[in-house]
Amino acid sequence: MTTPPATILIVEDDPEISRLVADFMRREGFEVACAADGRDMDAVLQRLRPDILILDLMLPGEDGLSICRRMRATDTIPILMLTAKSDEVDRVVGLEMGADDYLVKPFGPRELLARVRAILRRTGGSPARPALRRYAFDRFIVDLDSRNVEVTEADATAPQLTSAEFDLLGCFVLRPRRVLTRDQILDWTRGRSAEPFDRTVDMLISRLRKKLEAASPGSSLITTVRNGGYLFTAAVRQVA
Amino acid sequence: MLRLTLAARLALIVIVGTLAVAITLMAVFYRTALRETEAARPSPARLVALVTLIEQTPREGRGLLLDATSSPQFVVRVLGADQLPGSGAELPQLREAYATALAGRAVEVATPAPAASPRFPRLARLMAANATEIRIALRSGETLVVDSRTRLPVTPFGLPIGFGAGLFGTIVALLALLVMQRETRPLARLAAAVDRVDLSGAPPLLPQARRSAPEIRAVIAAFNRLQGRLGEMLRARLTLIGGIAHDVRTFATRLRLRVEQIPDPAEQQRAIADIDDMIRLLDDALLSSRAGAGGLSQEMVEIAALVRSEVDDRRAQGAAVDLTSAPASHDAIVLGDRLGLRRVIANIVDNAVKYGRVAHVRLSLGRDTVVVSVDDDGPGIPADRRQAMLEPFNRLETSRNRATGGAGLGLAVARSVVEAHGGTIEIATAPSGGARVSVELPVFRAG
Repeated sequence: MTTPPATILIVEDDPEISRLVADFMRREGFEVACAADGRDMDAVLQRLRPDILILDLMLPGEDGLSICRRMRATDTIPILMLTAKSDEVDRVVGLEMGADDYLVKPFGPRELLARVRAILRRTGGSPARPALRRYAFDRFIVDLDSRNVEVTEADATAPQLTSAEFDLLGCFVLRPRRVLTRDQILDWTRGRSAEPFDRTVDMLISRLRKKLEAASPGSSLITTVRNGGYLFTAAVRQVA
Repeated sequence: MLRLTLAARLALIVIVGTLAVAITLMAVFYRTALRETEAARPSPARLVALVTLIEQTPREGRGLLLDATSSPQFVVRVLGADQLPGSGAELPQLREAYATALAGRAVEVATPAPAASPRFPRLARLMAANATEIRIALRSGETLVVDSRTRLPVTPFGLPIGFGAGLFGTIVALLALLVMQRETRPLARLAAAVDRVDLSGAPPLLPQARRSAPEIRAVIAAFNRLQGRLGEMLRARLTLIGGIAHDVRTFATRLRLRVEQIPDPAEQQRAIADIDDMIRLLDDALLSSRAGAGGLSQEMVEIAALVRSEVDDRRAQGAAVDLTSAPASHDAIVLGDRLGLRRVIANIVDNAVKYGRVAHVRLSLGRDTVVVSVDDDGPGIPADRRQAMLEPFNRLETSRNRATGGAGLGLAVARSVVEAHGGTIEIATAPSGGARVSVELPVFRAG
């Protein structure tokens, strides 16, 4: 083999797991760097560019979800998530996180090796562009980066959304077909909008509902669930 | 608003009720005494006889005659024109009968004039009201005055004076009943709320009725606090189990990575299986307590696809699992926790394979539910053990021998998850004689 060894960056707060994985991967011929948390990872990324990121979901400080989201928005490094909570797996590889693959703890080293190799094979040849955050549902296409909503049908006009309404729509689009409580919606949209958001979630939702309904009559995309919250019923897929 | 204690309210209600009963009884008594009242008013024939007798009797014998005919309820006097007292209100409706009988004589029927200066004017008026005074002009130029009064205070028309009061009392008693009912309503609501307690969500706090008695308000407040504390306890337990699960998982991960160093492959496999069992147990416990504490997520789950993927996974591993599904059930959507539901299906299918060699999975659609039933070809589960199988740490073999299965959490976890979804789980007998476990889940329809 003449190709230089691939470099792995492990972001994991438990030093023992970090060491055991690193030792194993080094024996398998990889270059390995370790980081204990998000800030540590940023420092390491300053001096080297890994071919793959092995990222723990539960980290002190900035958690793995947020790091993954941040990396996805700006970078092309493939990400393998390690999750302790098996209930997060759908979201990890889904629209919200966009990780390339995941492993549930506890995992065997051979399993990890197989996944890492598979990802490198998939992404190794041509470095992918940063993933576009464009999503299609019903007759809409939402671009979370350019903050733009389009309608695919020619006869309808795209809804004009306020900033807060767009944030709300983004929150739904990234978590489709799941019941979101008022508190969760608040958590995920807070800080991004200048509007006071507290008890106005209901109002905002009814405004968004009206605008979507106007552009796509009879679609009823947002359903209210009894003593649950709100549910975005459309199937969402990522588009180029 | 006056805040009476519950005891005071109850006492008041009893007193008012008793009073109402007493007044009603009095009214009934008066009603029955009406006939006596009629008798107290002299009949026209009696008056005719009296008049005739007085006119025939010489003046000196009149005193004796008047004494003989008078009684406290029937006072007869003969007065000269100058001796006549003022009279009260005329009663023309009673006059008719007497005037016809005493043809040719002037007859006046009126209430007697009230006493000049009575100590209780109202009472005197009341007493006068039930008397009648009949004045008949005699041939001698004098006037015969007959004062008739009943023993009982009755209006001249025979209606007992207490009647209105009785009616009023009855109405008050009815109102008291309504008030009583209103007073006990918060208690009834409380009882219903206790039955409804569901610690999985935010506790439905009972509203404080502002007008309730202090005792009832105290009970409601105490109940709300209790609910809050129970919910807190459940959440604390969930946090504890979650924390333990996370840390144990970290240790298990290290252990799993170190197991690679074990040189004997057979030992290594056993160690890996042990770690897997340990984690499964932990996951089950965590899932079950999350289901109990409302920690499950809700998303739209295509149940047919989920069941199919679980079946396919097991078939890929060589297990004897087959699936028949009604076409109607293919689009059925359950609003629930994807992972929890997956665990439910996995647990019952694995149980069937483990204890009954095969799993026949069937998916069908009910009215508002989707039913997943799993039959096996094993010995079945005796009817008296079925309920116990759905409790944690209960296995058909009591040895708790881990070699033949798990910790006995599988069905208990399935049950807690299914029930948290508003569904039911049932153990029955399959046509083959084996066990049949059916899970019924409500179907979600958007809109």
